[in-house]
Amino acid sequence: MIALKDKSSGTVVGSVTIDGELVEFHQGETIYQVAERCRREVPTLCYDKRLEAFGACRLCVVEVEGIRNPVASCTTAASEGMIIKTKTKAVDKYRKTLLEMVASENRNLDIDALAGYASQELGTLLDRYKANNGRFEGKQSGESNEDDKNPFILRDYDNCISCYRCVRVCAEQEGDHAINVMNRGFHTQITTEFGNDLRDSQCTFCGQCVQTCPTGALTDKKAIRAKDLPGDISKTRSVCPYCGVGCAVDLLTKNDRVVGIQPAMDGPANEGALCIKGQYAFDFVHHPDRLTKPLIRQPDGNFREAEWEEALEAAAEGFTKVREKYGRHAIYGIASGRAPHEAAYMVQKFIRAGFGTNYIDNCSRS
Amino acid sequence: MTDQEIFEHWKDKDAHLLPILQAFHDRDEHISEEAIKSIAEALRIPVAELFATVTFYHHFSRSLPGKNAPRVCTGNVCCLNGGRELLESLKAEEATAMPCAGRCDDMIPVIRGDKVYVGKDAGSLENRATPVPPRNPGKIEECIFRHIRKEGRSQMEGYRGSGGYIALEKVITLSKKELLDIVTDSKLAGRGGAGFPTGLKWKAVHEATGSPKSIICNADEGEPGCFKDRAIMDHDPHALIEGMTLAAYATGASRGFIYLRYEYPETAVILQRAIDESLNAGFLGKNILGKEGFHFDLQIRRGAGAYICGEEGSLLNSLEGKHPFPRNKPPFPVTHGFENLPTVVNNVETLASVANIVRKGARWYQSLGLGEHAGTKVISLSGDIQRPGNYEVPFGFSLQSLLHEWGGGPHEGRSIQAVTMAGLSGGFLAADDLNVTLDEASIRSKGSFLGAGGIIVFDDSRDMVSIAHDAMEFFAHESCGKCFPCRIGTQRLSERLNSNNQQLGLENWQEEIDDIGAVMKATSACGLGMAAPHITESLQRYFPEKIKTHLNHSN
Repeated sequence: MIALKDKSSGTVVGSVTIDGELVEFHQGETIYQVAERCRREVPTLCYDKRLEAFGACRLCVVEVEGIRNPVASCTTAASEGMIIKTKTKAVDKYRKTLLEMVASENRNLDIDALAGYASQELGTLLDRYKANNGRFEGKQSGESNEDDKNPFILRDYDNCISCYRCVRVCAEQEGDHAINVMNRGFHTQITTEFGNDLRDSQCTFCGQCVQTCPTGALTDKKAIRAKDLPGDISKTRSVCPYCGVGCAVDLLTKNDRVVGIQPAMDGPANEGALCIKGQYAFDFVHHPDRLTKPLIRQPDGNFREAEWEEALEAAAEGFTKVREKYGRHAIYGIASGRAPHEAAYMVQKFIRAGFGTNYIDNCSRS
Repeated sequence: MTDQEIFEHWKDKDAHLLPILQAFHDRDEHISEEAIKSIAEALRIPVAELFATVTFYHHFSRSLPGKNAPRVCTGNVCCLNGGRELLESLKAEEATAMPCAGRCDDMIPVIRGDKVYVGKDAGSLENRATPVPPRNPGKIEECIFRHIRKEGRSQMEGYRGSGGYIALEKVITLSKKELLDIVTDSKLAGRGGAGFPTGLKWKAVHEATGSPKSIICNADEGEPGCFKDRAIMDHDPHALIEGMTLAAYATGASRGFIYLRYEYPETAVILQRAIDESLNAGFLGKNILGKEGFHFDLQIRRGAGAYICGEEGSLLNSLEGKHPFPRNKPPFPVTHGFENLPTVVNNVETLASVANIVRKGARWYQSLGLGEHAGTKVISLSGDIQRPGNYEVPFGFSLQSLLHEWGGGPHEGRSIQAVTMAGLSGGFLAADDLNVTLDEASIRSKGSFLGAGGIIVFDDSRDMVSIAHDAMEFFAHESCGKCFPCRIGTQRLSERLNSNNQQLGLENWQEEIDDIGAVMKATSACGLGMAAPHITESLQRYFPEKIKTHLNHSN
């Protein structure tokens, strides 16, 4: 039996058989969650583990003994004694047919990885099931909205498969409810209220819809600019410098240039979420105006470059002069809102212990 | 009424989104962007979400001319009678097409505002009552239609005069268990098509914890070729109300809703009058018939044009003001129904049978069926048949007898080529398979099902591939768009039945149809996607030659 490693996260309530193997499961666990834990390869397109299971793509269907039709494993709770088969000839055939059908409604299946975190999901599955073969040719759904006037999110619904992940992440994770659908059936169209541009909606441009989109229908406009730059994309784990939350990010670079940012789905503070700043505001990194060395103001008012040691000495001298001339309360420290807890602590220590004043504040208040 | 007055009127009532939307739609003849914003703000719904929900329903107009522009039925049956031509002739008035509006035993229906007109062409359109179900020629005993032809039956006096509310008066002297036993013993089962035993369902709700419980009547008769619920509600509304009140007694429910399809505006008026009469007479409301603590509040909620809302999960979501997608099951409505509380969802025919069953006894009802079958089923018979109409047949009755003896057979000089089952959902039966009896076992053995009991007849002059195409267009039009197999599958099947653009050879055509059909039947999230491939399957089974011609002609 595959026993649960982490029994603390929930009560073990029973066991099921998955592909012949006896497995324990937690209270409330779905078949998909159990299968994933046992490293079964169950394909999905509408599933994002951060969101409530939706049951739209039906790729995750599995056979359960005693139930006539295969069940969607993402929305079916595991129950005691279930005998589950995640991979049978019939189920594989359904998955392949479904993927062929999905491929037939999309115009572009070759999506650059810069488009978004999940943008390769459809392409990968199509390759795995050899499903991009031109079957089921017919009308294609979705109406592109590439002209949406915003600098961040490209909305190319030619590639949309109506999995609702963007709609759900916007509502469930971000709480913005900016995007939803209009119409129904094959005419389902992901859109904003009244079909307006994003900037006229409740959208905050957090980019989470882009990062959960499995087809690149929503694309990171800034990152995709680097599509034709030479070199491979490399990812470097970092922490967003904008505020003290500490969202984990993956910096996307090509030849040592930052070309985009993706949220880390396993970031403990953000679990895949970012805000507009962390997601899109990285242009300063390679900006020509960016300060890369300390500058010291000359008597004529101009700056000159200096080394750190000289600059720090100049600063210390300045502080000392002020204190001697005007007293310790002439000094006022303001900690940046971008500073983490530890840095803020250091600032107040520096001001209080170093100068002997309690004039210490934070930029978000002053 | 101002926006505020509308909100004020509905704010404390259950299931209020649909009636608020209807109130705006009635007042402004469409639902404007300002209206959506105003409603969203008042009900605290995100604007994008309300916009999504409004655009889901095809009868909500979002621009003028809206509600009062004619909507012409181009359902399968009406297309046989010139529905498309009538639509064309009303184009100057900005007429639009609508799927089957449940008037298939009459001429083509045209809805303008809250009136339904019927006629062969623009000149002959008139507003008239729903046809009364014809008597069966064999004088076979009926349950549901037993009194429906009596003069004045739709009003309290007439209903009381023919045994109305006697069942309710009798039942309040019985225990809940006694009533549950009667319903269970009668073997009455869901007449909307699912066939779940009614007694079991009521018992489950009776035993479920959580309150208030609800009784919901599914009157969203959207299946093409089905018009029985309309006849029952128009001519015997009190039978439905009494049935629902009996259900409330058995289960302990205190709230009731009739979810009525948009296409039956006049039925809403008839039902409301009957509810008011019943309330005045003490058969509804608080302490019914003086029985302490027996309360039942009954409300009508009108749909807005969405076949999927006949699916119980969608219906519940629609009532609650949510996006009308089907719900994932389990849990089932008996424990997690309206507002996640125990709920009975029953079809009109099921509920309207109960009063007579209680009055005449479970054994009597059982004995109405032939052989080992219990009870009766209303069949809506339409299409190329001499006497279309609603016929209450004993289960086990021969289809051929219904078609030829009761329905009068095909028109002079014609023969029957095929019939549909379950409206369109059961696909076609043809040739020797027309020798079935009308009960699920017999019909299922032919790969079809009886369902809600709509049977559409097509004679030998009809192009079956084109009929199949129209049927699949309907399913594509009505697919909710949530699950992939149905959303893409109905569209692809419809394209493959369209004669204008066939590039596929026979072998590829068949392979594609088979693969799509198989995946839809196995993996769709609800009955719509599972049933739609019956059309293509049965077409292939009975009409392989016609498919060959279809493909040759288009190539």
